[in-house]
Amino acid sequence: MAEQALAYSLPVDTRTVRLKWMVAALVALAAIAVLPEVLSNYWLRTFISATALAIGSLSVSLLFAQLGMVSLAQYGLLGVGGWFALRISHGFGVPFELALLTGGIVAAAFGLVVGLPALRMRGLYLAIITLMMAGAIQVLISAFGFPDGGAGFLGKSTAARIMMARPHLAPTDEAYFRYAMVVLALCYGVVFLHVRGRPGRAWAMIRRSEVCALAGGVHIVAYKVWAFTLSGFLAGIAGGLLAGGVGQLDGSAFPASQSILLFALTIVGGAYSWMGPIIAGLMLRAFPALLNDFHVDGNIATIVFGAGLLHSLMTAPQGMAGQIQDVAAALRKRFAGKSGAGR
Amino acid sequence: MPDFTPFFVSGLATAATYVLSAVGIVVLYRASGVVNFSQGALGALAAFVSWSIVEHGGPEPVAWFAGILVSTTLAFLYGRVLAARLAFSDPVMRAVATLSVALILLGFMGYVWGEAPRRLRLPTDTMSFELIGVRVTGTRAVAFALAVLATVAVMTFLARSRLGLQMRALANNRDLSAMLGVRVLRADGYAWIISGGLAGISGILLADLQRLSGQTLTFAVIPAIAAAVIGRFSSLPATVAGGVAIGVCEALLTPVPVIGPFRTAVPFLFAVVALLWMQRRFTFAYR
Repeated sequence: MAEQALAYSLPVDTRTVRLKWMVAALVALAAIAVLPEVLSNYWLRTFISATALAIGSLSVSLLFAQLGMVSLAQYGLLGVGGWFALRISHGFGVPFELALLTGGIVAAAFGLVVGLPALRMRGLYLAIITLMMAGAIQVLISAFGFPDGGAGFLGKSTAARIMMARPHLAPTDEAYFRYAMVVLALCYGVVFLHVRGRPGRAWAMIRRSEVCALAGGVHIVAYKVWAFTLSGFLAGIAGGLLAGGVGQLDGSAFPASQSILLFALTIVGGAYSWMGPIIAGLMLRAFPALLNDFHVDGNIATIVFGAGLLHSLMTAPQGMAGQIQDVAAALRKRFAGKSGAGR
Repeated sequence: MPDFTPFFVSGLATAATYVLSAVGIVVLYRASGVVNFSQGALGALAAFVSWSIVEHGGPEPVAWFAGILVSTTLAFLYGRVLAARLAFSDPVMRAVATLSVALILLGFMGYVWGEAPRRLRLPTDTMSFELIGVRVTGTRAVAFALAVLATVAVMTFLARSRLGLQMRALANNRDLSAMLGVRVLRADGYAWIISGGLAGISGILLADLQRLSGQTLTFAVIPAIAAAVIGRFSSLPATVAGGVAIGVCEALLTPVPVIGPFRTAVPFLFAVVALLWMQRRFTFAYR
């Protein structure tokens, strides 16, 4: 026994991990400082949407990577969050942060409603029910439209549409992009804390085997519901952020196909890696914008995304993030090998 | 109180297209274990191909046949080439893979035909007859007849033919059937052909009854899947009943003042209730 205990060593070197975190934080700070300065107005707005959608994708990957659950309604939840953020912002003139939080909390409640039937459902039925939910949310949003400063509960104005008030900290596009990146970083922080902590361990056990988790004293219902609530909250925050970026939301911009695209790109980007949601957000917004720059039809993007999903499912389950990490690992091995030979 | 009879008749016709699509989904799921989310997109493609051929002056029967042929071929190719490579992955992943087909087709149709408002015109639109005081167009009657015919044909096929027996065996246990000499890929292929053909017919009819739009027709798969859920992806009679109930309820809600705009959420409600009813026993731990 003693020998076994001695033979055990940490599989990862804590120093390199700490270094990695510091590098990541530095890169993020550099991006926050430099990126808004170098982008044109058009690209600035694209990147703001991409940042918001990265949070949306994070909410998909949370459910998929942690519990293996396929939710095809996340973009709809984004719409729900955006709706309530706009409503509370126009109706009460509250600060942006409060509107954002309200959107998140209401979307979390919606996520909970999706999650409750899901507790008794196997994966396939969950995918089906969330797809239908995406369809139902599309119906609701296109029937109600988004509030734009009018009176009444729906807040539809017949005159000019009023823009949502931006945060006091970030009135300009540049500042708002920085603001959005900080919110993204905070969302990542929340997810990492969960994954590293008690909920993450419980989710891992449920993913492995529900029977084992039950036997191990994990409260399956509570942790599944918590995952759904958290994921809905993130989607709602993303919706509010999107609404703040554009100033208003378009009722026709939340079809069920967007929810499918968001899920597809989360898989393509790599649901199991921290890079995945960022790649997914960039692809959802920056890739069509790039095609637009070259005067290529936006529908081509949908075709590419569909083919990408098929490719990921068949040959690259870790997505683009996994491939990037593989390449990085291969390079590191190569350089390490060379320096080792030199010694 | 509005007069509901015309809505009932038009609802029956829409329901018939849902039934056609749903029967295809159930047959495919029973044989190959794939829930085909791209059923609607395949139908949309069939409708667009027929529309294009008619626009370019082609004869109509050829146009319909070509449309159905395209959806059937595409379904068969996907089933044989791509779905076969995913045969051993999770059922969820196999269903999600068909979403990628739906996305590719959606993008393709948007690129080639765009979202201009269109309708596919069938010659049966101008024929009509009176039934219980309502004018019924030929297309609606044809849709209804085809749905009945397809359901009966598929049920007889599964119950009587050797291939149907093999499909039922596959549905029961894939590995054991393969061991007993069922040619899995062949039975799979036929299931994809049946479902692709039904998707094409349903898409062409729906493009006439509602409108020819890639988005609308692609997401007509939602009521069809809801109907299949009601049939638990195995029982064809229950699927048909579900499809009819969904289609008729949707249509009957049209003239109702407040809830009218929300009638397309009907399939969602039906499916949720069906799922909760099916899973009412307290078993939530899965291995």
